[in-house]
Amino acid sequence: MTESMLVARDVRMVFGGVIALDRASIEVRPGRVTGLIGRNGSGKSTLFNCLTGFLRPTAGTIELDGLDITAHAPHEVMRAGVARTFQTPRIDFQTTAREAVLCGLFTRVRHGFLSSLLGLPHALREEQTMQRRADEVVERMRMQAWAASKVNQLSMGRVRSVEVARAIAADARYLLLDEPAAGIGRDEMRVLADEIRSLADRGIGVLLVEHNFSLIRMLCEDVTVLETGAVIFRGTPEAARHDERVRQLYLGTAAAGEAA
Amino acid sequence: MSFLASRRNTLIMAVVGVIACAVAPLNPVWLDSVILTGILALISLSAGLAFGQAGILSMAQGAFAAIGAYATAVCATRLGLPAWAGLSLAITLPAALAWALARMVTRMPELATALATLALATLLEIVARNWDAVTGGYVGIAGIPPVEGFGVAWRFNILVWVFVLLAVLAYENLMLSAHGRALNIVRHDRTRAMADGIAVAPLLSAMLATSGAMAGAGGWLYAHYITYMSPQSLDTHASISALLMAVVGGAGYILGPVLGTFLLNLLGKLLPAQEAQGLFYGGALILILLVAPQGLLGWLSKLTERGSARKVRATPDAPAQASAPGPTTAGPETKTRPLEAAP
Amino acid sequence: MLEYAFRGLLNGAVYALLALPMTLFFTTAATVDFAIGAYALLAAAVATAIPGPAGILAGLASALAASLVMAVIFVLLKRTSEGGIRVALASFGLSLAIASIVLIVWGTKPFVRQTFTTMFEFGGLRVNPQGLINFTLALVLVGATWLILARTQLGRMMRAAAVNARGAELAAIPVIGVQCGTLLAGGLLGGVAGLLILHSSGMDFTASLGLTFIGFAAAIIFGIHSPLRCLAGGLAIGVIEALSAGYTSGMVTSMLPSLFMLIVLLSGQLGAGRYSGDRP
Repeated sequence: MTESMLVARDVRMVFGGVIALDRASIEVRPGRVTGLIGRNGSGKSTLFNCLTGFLRPTAGTIELDGLDITAHAPHEVMRAGVARTFQTPRIDFQTTAREAVLCGLFTRVRHGFLSSLLGLPHALREEQTMQRRADEVVERMRMQAWAASKVNQLSMGRVRSVEVARAIAADARYLLLDEPAAGIGRDEMRVLADEIRSLADRGIGVLLVEHNFSLIRMLCEDVTVLETGAVIFRGTPEAARHDERVRQLYLGTAAAGEAA
Repeated sequence: MSFLASRRNTLIMAVVGVIACAVAPLNPVWLDSVILTGILALISLSAGLAFGQAGILSMAQGAFAAIGAYATAVCATRLGLPAWAGLSLAITLPAALAWALARMVTRMPELATALATLALATLLEIVARNWDAVTGGYVGIAGIPPVEGFGVAWRFNILVWVFVLLAVLAYENLMLSAHGRALNIVRHDRTRAMADGIAVAPLLSAMLATSGAMAGAGGWLYAHYITYMSPQSLDTHASISALLMAVVGGAGYILGPVLGTFLLNLLGKLLPAQEAQGLFYGGALILILLVAPQGLLGWLSKLTERGSARKVRATPDAPAQASAPGPTTAGPETKTRPLEAAP
Repeated sequence: MLEYAFRGLLNGAVYALLALPMTLFFTTAATVDFAIGAYALLAAAVATAIPGPAGILAGLASALAASLVMAVIFVLLKRTSEGGIRVALASFGLSLAIASIVLIVWGTKPFVRQTFTTMFEFGGLRVNPQGLINFTLALVLVGATWLILARTQLGRMMRAAAVNARGAELAAIPVIGVQCGTLLAGGLLGGVAGLLILHSSGMDFTASLGLTFIGFAAAIIFGIHSPLRCLAGGLAIGVIEALSAGYTSGMVTSMLPSLFMLIVLLSGQLGAGRYSGDRP
C-alpha cells in the first residue's frame, strides 16, 4: 500500500552547463509541516518548481501518493491536489479578497465551457455552489472583516493569507509555500503561522520554503537544507541549528536575525 | 441576482436590437444598412471575443465568416438543402478550423499569432479563388436562396438582430461564469492560471472556436441576404475591418465591437468617396490607439469612474477599476486590457 | 529553368530590401512595421506622377515622410505602454490610410515605368538590365547596412539595443532614437524597393500588404537576426517564387509568401517565454 505523500526522489536538474539540483530528495507528508531552506542559489526554487510541475527534472522522479507526476504540467499538478503560492504574490490587485479566493475554485468546476456559454441550468447552479463555497473558505480563514476589500488595500500579511486561502479553496491535500514570511511583520507572521498550523492539523501536508528561520522553528517538524543543489542536512530545526555545516553556510546571518 | 438582471449587456443589446428592428424598415436604404451592420457586428463580436478575452489578435474572422457563407451556399445551391441545415455546417466548420488554428498558436507571442492568422486568412482566400469545383472560383456562387420564412427584408433584419442578441447573451454568460473568470486570470497572468489548475491551451482554443462559430453564423446570414458569395465578399479586408471595429469600440468590452461597428460602418457611409474608407478606418485606428487604447467604451468608462471616484462599491463582484493593469472578474461590463503587453 | 532562377534572384534582391528594415526594427523594438509595403507603394505612385529623376527623389522623399509619421506615432505610443502589439496595429492603420490615399489620388490603374526597352543577352539568358540594377543596388545596400552594423558606432548602439533595450538605455544609448532610425530606414529602403519594382514589374494600389508580407517572410525565414540573412531570405523567396511561377500554377505562387510566413511562425522562431531555474 503506497504511503500518502508528495516526494521528490533523486531529482537532478541541469541547465546548460549548470547543475542546479544534484540528487535532491524531499518528502512532504499529510499533517506535517516540512521546511526547505538554503542560501540564494542553493536550488530551493528549482526544487520547488519541479515539485509543482513548473519545471521538468533532467532526472529523478516526483511522486504523489505513489503516482508519478514528474511529467505533469503545472495545472495537472494542481488538479492532482498540490497547490502552491508565489514568493511575490501573483494576484490581480484590482480584485477583492473574496474574488481572489473564488479564483482558486476552478478545479472544482464540473461543467464545461459550452455549458457556461449557453448558460445551462446546471452550470448556473454550480456557479451558485462555488460562490457559497468561496464564502465558506472566507469564514474558515477568518477573513470576513476584509474580504470585500480590494487586494491593493490590504497589508502584505493579509495578501499572503488571501494567497493561501486561494490555494486551499479547492481542497488541496498538499500546500507548498514559497517564502510566505517575506515582507511581513512579527504580528502578522504569528497570524500566518497559526493559519499554517491549523491547515496542517486538518491533514494538509505543507512544504515551507523560507529564509526566516524563526518561522521554520515555529512550524516545522523537520527541515531539509540545500546547498548548491544537494541536500546537506535533514532533521529537526533544532538539530539543524546545531549542525556544523548548516551553521557555517547558512545560519551565520540568520542566527543574528533570530535574536531580534 | 436574477439571471436577466445580471446580464446588463444583453439587456442593452436587446433595446438596441428592438430599436434597429423598429426604425430601419421605415426606409429601404436604412434597412439595407442596418442589416449589413448587424451582420458585421456579429463578425466584429467574434473578433472582440478572441482578442479582448483570449488575447488572440485574429485577422481571420472574415475568413471564418467566408467559410460559413460558402458552406451554406454549397448546401443550398448544390445539395438543395434548406438554409437551416446550412447553418449547422456554417457554425461547426469554422469552429473546427479555429480550434485547430488555436492549438497551433496559443504558445506564440501575440504578434506571431496575429501574423499567423493573417497568413491563414490570405491562404484561405487564395483557395477560395481557385477551388472552382466547390467555391465557384473567381466567379463565386450565385443564386443562394433566402432563409425560409425570412425572405422579406424587414423580417430578415429581425433574424439578424436576434442572432446578434444571442451572441451577446452567450458572450455575457461566459464572462459571468467560472470559465470567464479563468479567462481573466489567463489574460492577466498565465503562470497564475496554471497554478490555479487552469488548462490554458484548451481554454483559449475553446474561445477561438467560439469566435469562429460566431463569425460563421455571420457568414451564413450574409450569404442568405446577399444571395451571392465570392472570394471578394468576406476577404481579408473584412477581417481587418471587423478587428478594427472591435478595437475602436473597445475589444475588452462585450458591447465594444457592436459600438465600433455602428460608428465606423454608419459613419463610413457618410464619407464622400468609397476610396476614402481605408483612410477613415486607418486613421480611426491610429487615433484610438493613441488616445483611448481601451477603445471608446474604455474611454467612456474612465470618464464615469473619475466622476464617481468617491463611491465605494460594497458588493463582492463589482467591476474593477481602470487604473492599474489587470482584468476584472465577472461584472456587468466585463473589460480587460487587451492592448498591453502580456506579462 | 536557369532563366527563371535568375529572374527570381533579381526579384529576390528587392525583397531583401523590404526585409532589411523589418529585421532592424524587429530586433531593436520587438515589433513589426506593417507599413513598409505602403512606403514602397507611395514612392512608386509619386514617382509615376513626376517625370524624370525629380520623380525618383520625390518618391523617396514621400516614403521617408510617411515613415516619419510612423516614427512619431511610435514615440507617442511608447510613452503610454510597452505593448508591441499596439505599434503593429498602428502601423497597420497607417498602411491602410496610405493605400487609401494612393487610391484616392491616383485611382486604380497600375504604376509602371519602363526605362529599358532592350534586354541583354548573357550566355543564353535574357536579362533585363533593370533587374541587374536592382540586384546590384540591393547588394550594395545590404552590404552597407551590414558594414554599418558591424563596424560603426551607430551599429554598435543598434546591436546593444537589440540585445538588451533596458541595459542599453542605462548605458546612455538613445534606444528610442535607434528604433526611430530603423523606422526611417524602413521608409528609405521601402521607398527604394518601391522604385525598383516600379521600374521592373510595376505595382498597383493593392500591393502594399502583399509587399509587407513578403518582406516579413524574407526577414524571418532564415532567422530575423542579420542583414545577410535578409538577403538570403529575399533571394530564396524570389527564386522559389520564380520557379513556382514557371512550373506550377498561379495559385501556388500566390500562396508562397503566406505559406512561408506560416511555416516559420509555427516553427517557433519568434520564441515565447520559457522557465529557467528562477522563480516563475
